[in-house]
Parts: sequence; C-alpha cells; structure tokens
Amino acid sequence: MTKTDPEVRIPDPIDLDRAEEDRLRAAAGLAPVRPERPEYAGFEQVGIPDRPPETAREMEVYSLAEGEMLLNMGPQHPSTHGVMRLLVKIRGEVIVDIDPVLGYLHRGIEKLCENATYTTVLTYVDPMDYLSTMHNEHAPAIAFEKLYGVRAPKRAEYIRALVVELNRIFSHGLMMGFLALDMGGLTPILYSFINRDEIVDMLSAISGQRMLFNFFRVGGVNFDVNDEFISRLGTWRSHVLENIEMNEWMITENEIFTARTKGMGTLTGQEAISLGVTGPNLRASGVPFDVRKAHPYSIYPELELEVITQESGDSYARYLQRIAEIKQSIHLIDQIVDKMPHGPVQAQVPGIIRPKPGRAYGAVESPRGLYSVYAISDGGPNPYRFRMRDPSFISLQAMPKVMPGRLVADTMAVMASFDPVMGGVDK
Amino acid sequence: MDWELILGLGRFLLATTLLLVLTIPTAFVIIQMEMKIIAQLALRFGPNRVGPRGIFQSSIHGFKVLAKEDTVPDQADRGTFTLAPWMVYMAAAMSMLVMPFAPGAIAADFNISIVYFFAVIGLSVVGLLVAGWASYNKYSLLGGLRAAAQMVSYEIPLTLSIVGAVVLAGTLSFSELIDWQRQHGWLLIWQPIGLGIFYVASLAEINRTPFDMVEADSELVAGPFTEYSGMRFGFFFFAEYVALFIMSGILISLFFGGWLAPWPFPAELGGFAGTLWGIFWFFLKTYLFVSIAVWMRGTLPRVRVDQLMGMAWKVLLPLALVNLFVTAIAVVVFDLKGV
Repeated sequence: MTKTDPEVRIPDPIDLDRAEEDRLRAAAGLAPVRPERPEYAGFEQVGIPDRPPETAREMEVYSLAEGEMLLNMGPQHPSTHGVMRLLVKIRGEVIVDIDPVLGYLHRGIEKLCENATYTTVLTYVDPMDYLSTMHNEHAPAIAFEKLYGVRAPKRAEYIRALVVELNRIFSHGLMMGFLALDMGGLTPILYSFINRDEIVDMLSAISGQRMLFNFFRVGGVNFDVNDEFISRLGTWRSHVLENIEMNEWMITENEIFTARTKGMGTLTGQEAISLGVTGPNLRASGVPFDVRKAHPYSIYPELELEVITQESGDSYARYLQRIAEIKQSIHLIDQIVDKMPHGPVQAQVPGIIRPKPGRAYGAVESPRGLYSVYAISDGGPNPYRFRMRDPSFISLQAMPKVMPGRLVADTMAVMASFDPVMGGVDK
Repeated sequence: MDWELILGLGRFLLATTLLLVLTIPTAFVIIQMEMKIIAQLALRFGPNRVGPRGIFQSSIHGFKVLAKEDTVPDQADRGTFTLAPWMVYMAAAMSMLVMPFAPGAIAADFNISIVYFFAVIGLSVVGLLVAGWASYNKYSLLGGLRAAAQMVSYEIPLTLSIVGAVVLAGTLSFSELIDWQRQHGWLLIWQPIGLGIFYVASLAEINRTPFDMVEADSELVAGPFTEYSGMRFGFFFFAEYVALFIMSGILISLFFGGWLAPWPFPAELGGFAGTLWGIFWFFLKTYLFVSIAVWMRGTLPRVRVDQLMGMAWKVLLPLALVNLFVTAIAVVVFDLKGV
C-alpha cells in the first residue's frame, strides 16, 4: 500500500476510537455517544461548510429553501464586536435564521490557568472579557480566597469594589456608544471614550496599567490608593454626570434611535431565564436578579443598592438599563469613598499557595452578567480544574431567538444591545 | 463656415472641461470639511498635520487612492465592474452641466434644464446597481439592490416636490426660475412644503446620512463599493461628494434664490462683476447646506431600510401630491400663473 493510492482510505484514528466506543456501548446495551450524522444532500450547492453538517441544528441552518441565501457576517466585519461569525440566512433583507459561530478568538485561557500557580492565574484571566478586566480578576480572587481560607482586609475589599464599579461605568458607557455606532451614529462612541479614558487614567494611576490591570491579588489588592488616583477620581466625579447626560442627550430621545430599538430583539423574562441570560440583559426583561444583591460578596451588603429593572425587554430597555446602572454605580462609588476604612490592603499570603484539596466557587456581577469561576484544588500549587462561566457567551445564545423575522440592518443593532465581548465568549 | 456653431462648440468644450476640473477641488473641500467638522463635533482635533491646520489632508487622501493597487475579484464581471464607477461619476458630472452658478456662468442654459437635471442625476443608480451585481459579493449585491430600491423610490417625491414651483413660475429653466425669484421673492416663501420634501428626498437620493443605507458600514461593510479599491473606489467616493455639492446647489437654486443676494442691492450689477457677485452668493449658500449635511452625519444614526421606504411612499409622496394640488388650485383661483 502506497500513500498515493486513492482507493485506500487510511481511517482517521478518532473515527476508529469512536467506532470502538460505540461497539462497546452497543454491547452494554447503550445508545451510541454521538448520533449518526443526518442525511444531507444540499451542501454541494451551498459550498459552506466544506463538510457535511454534524448536528440537526447545523443542517437546519445550512439547508436553503427557494429564494434564501446564506450571508456570513464576520469574522472580518466592521461591527461584529471582535472576531465573531454570524451565519445569517436571509430571504431578501429578512432574516430567516441566524447562527453565531464561535471560536475565532479562542486562546485556551482555562487550560493556561490550570498550568499556572494560583497567584499567576489572576494575570491570565485579564484578557478574557477585555472591557471588564477588573471583574475578571475579582471572581477568581474570591474563589481562591475561599479555597485557601484567607480573607482580604477590609480596606482591600473597599478598593476592590471601587475599581470594579469604575470598570462597570466605562463598560456600560462604551455599550451606549457602540449601540449608536452600529446604527451609524458616529459621535456617541467618542464621547463614551472620553469618559473611558478618564477612568482608565485613574485605574492606571492605581494599578500601573491601562487595559489589563492585573490589580487583584489572592488576599487583597496590589496597591493602596494614591494621591493621583484620588485627585483624578475627584475631577472625574465632578463632571461625569454631565458627560453621561451629553451622550444621553444625543441618543435617548433621538427619533431614529428609538424607532430602531423600541420593540427590537424583545426577550421576555421567562425566555431570558430559560436561556440563562443574566446581568443588565436579564434585568431589562424585568427580572430583578443581581448577583450583588442575590448572592452578596465583598462589601456589597454594607452598601445601599437597589436592583433596577426595566419592563419591555427590548433593545431600548437594555440601553436604558445600562444608563440607570451607570448612575447607580456612581452612587455606589460615592458611598464607598465615604466609608473607606484605614488599614492594610493585602493579607499575609505566600508567593506560591497550596490550598487543601477542595472546591470553591466565586461569582461576581460583571457588566455583562453573572461571571463566575469554579476552581478545584488537588493540593498542588496550581488549580486542578479552573472553569469560567462567561455571561456574553450566554447572552449571545439569545440572538437566534430574537432575530428571525427582522431585517439584516437589525442584526448588529440588536447584537450591540446584548453587549457581548468576544474575548469572553471564546476565552 | 458657421462661426456661430464653432464658437458655441468651443464654449461648450471649455465649459465641460472646467466643470470636470471643478469636481476635483469640490470633492477635496467637502471631504476636508467633513473630516474637520465631524472631528470638532466629536471633541477631536481632526486632521492637523498635512499643511497648515491640516488643510491638505483630503488631497493627500486623493493621491493615496491613486497610488493604491487596483484589484478585481476573480469571479467579477470585469467589463461592468470597470464601467460602474465611471457611470456613477459621469452621472454626477453631467448634471453639473445645467448648474446655475451665476448669470452668464451656466455651461448649458436651455429651456428644459430642470427636466434634464432630474433625468441625469437618476442615472447614478445604474452604476451602483451594476457595481453591486458585477462585484460577485453578497454585501455588494444587497447594497446595489438597496440603492436601486431607495433611489428609484425617492426620485418620485423628489421630482414631484418641485412641480409646484415649476407651475408657479411657469418655466422649466433654472435661470428663468431664478429670475422669477428675483421678482417675486424666493420660492422658500411660496413652497415651504415643497422645500421640506425636496430636502429630505435629495438626502436620500444621494445616500447621505441618515439615509446612507447603501453603504451602511455597520451592516453591509461598504455596500456596492466593498470589492473596489484604488482609483475605482476613488471615483465612487468623489461622485458621492460631488453629488452632495450638486444637490445643495440645486436646492438653493430652486428655493433659496440661487445666485441672488439676500437683499436686492446692487440690483443692476451686470457683466463680469455681476457674475462674480453671483458666484460668491451661490457658493456661500451651497456650502451652507453642505455643512448642514455634514452636521447631520456627525449627529444622526441611520434609519432602517423599511422605515426609509415607508417614508417615501406613505409620507413624502402623498404630501408632494397634496402640495402640487394646492399649488395648482391656487394658481388658477388667484390667477398666479407667471404672476
């Protein structure tokens, strides 16, 4: 047998494994692990994908009726919020079906974290959801502190809450801008970036970095607040509401904006719960669930915090929800600054920690929803298993639910209202 | 030898050459305005490196486009793909032929110049449709079809909106219409509804924000222009800005007295001085409206394609018909014909 002989097909080892497994399972009276591939004849005409579809859902998306067309939006597209591919099935301008295809930004962060020591994991999770870096660090910090049995000092908890709320404000602010940008409004995004820049300057004064802050530590935070941070915070606080209002003034009452967002992408509370959507997207559908209130962590029980909800669950409600949360976060920051105690910012923790075998779960309310970390320790210096639940991934699952029947133009506008960040979706 | 004919032909050739040459600085100026004004609206600096206060930025962009590689997709229909930018550009350039810059400064001043204008400006849709089809790209195709639907729909209210003015003035020539406005006041006073319809429809006709459905960068990447590069893309780009200039110029000629100064003094300025005076006012008013279009681009989001078509057929068209009906009755009842 030569390698060039076209008649002889060298079996794929994976297929062999599968066949062997299925044979064993059949002998034991069990169903095969993977169902048989569905019969499908259409992909020669469509051209994509270059293989027969593997699931019934794939086949549903790829089979075209008369007058339908598949349109790939992304991974290279001006407004897919990163590298995401939306496979859109359209009839004229009307969307028949939509299928988000993920994985273009997969960096294997979970695996990287499992090979890192507990203290260095906090540097790897930064670039996941790159618009809420502080939250990314907060959840593993909580989980590891539970695992190791150490508590961060009071002042450290206050500083954590402070930077996390600042991060939430600029993330929600950018969502306002991107939503307008995806409808063709050029200016609001730049106003949002003015606000973001001020906050980022502030956070870089305290952490030393502008985007991937690497600020949290197991048992505390890296630095105490310094003079530059305080002075920038004061300046920013004195005009932040004006900045937000200026941006709101351009968008909220705009006829075109409201006509394109009201009633668009409506998700009822029940649908949102059954999909697992959390955060502002869930609260915009009228479900009062906020991790800060439902499963309090850090210092949130000590702060005055109301769960804000909207009623309609459409794109406009999600937008209003973000604005309300920005104002709420500013209120929280005021309280935190008032109440901040003196003391150390870092508990005594060795450089390499070896927690006792066990499991721990840490959840925070990130700007995109419930972001949580589940870590298992086997007693070694690095986590045995490190699992992250990213809220953008789950928000994105709502797209096939809300889009059919809408127009191509609404795809991006609705997606921007869910505010997914691809770095978090693909990990 | 018919010297009249040769002289006329020479004048025509000179005028068309001048107009073609004029499109280049016009596009450069408007692109520069757009970059700078939108930057100021967004609290940015805008171009400030090339030349004093960055005034050569758009020219540099123009030369950059010239220097870029000109690619054609493998499966594109090469012939039509090459022709499409030319069609769009020529539609814009040809409609400048009847543009009333000033008394004595109209390339071709004939008695049906308004009809000619609306016939020629509509031709650019052919180029966009051809570009969308020839590119062999789904985004281009969607953009091209949007262009066809949008521009054909908006042509109807656009044309109907000025019929009221034509009935009132009793002429189809731009220069006579402006002369009528000199005697009876600007048509802005006589035809306010017509002005509103014309303004909205003209923005849609030239694909400006908030009706820039054809490009729609957040949905269709760049619409029919997606596969174009180099100077072919440059022609589309130029044509778009020249069209903005033309529509603003026609708007002020129809409703804002064209080359007339806002006050009647000096009424009897004739000859070369009158031409210069007219050109001054023409450009001032035109660029005022160009600035308003740029301002809107910096402010407004884009409407959706179904909302856009709905507005053309459900709002603008009935309104234009009512406007025409009322004007016609008024002309008969008050005996206003030609006033």
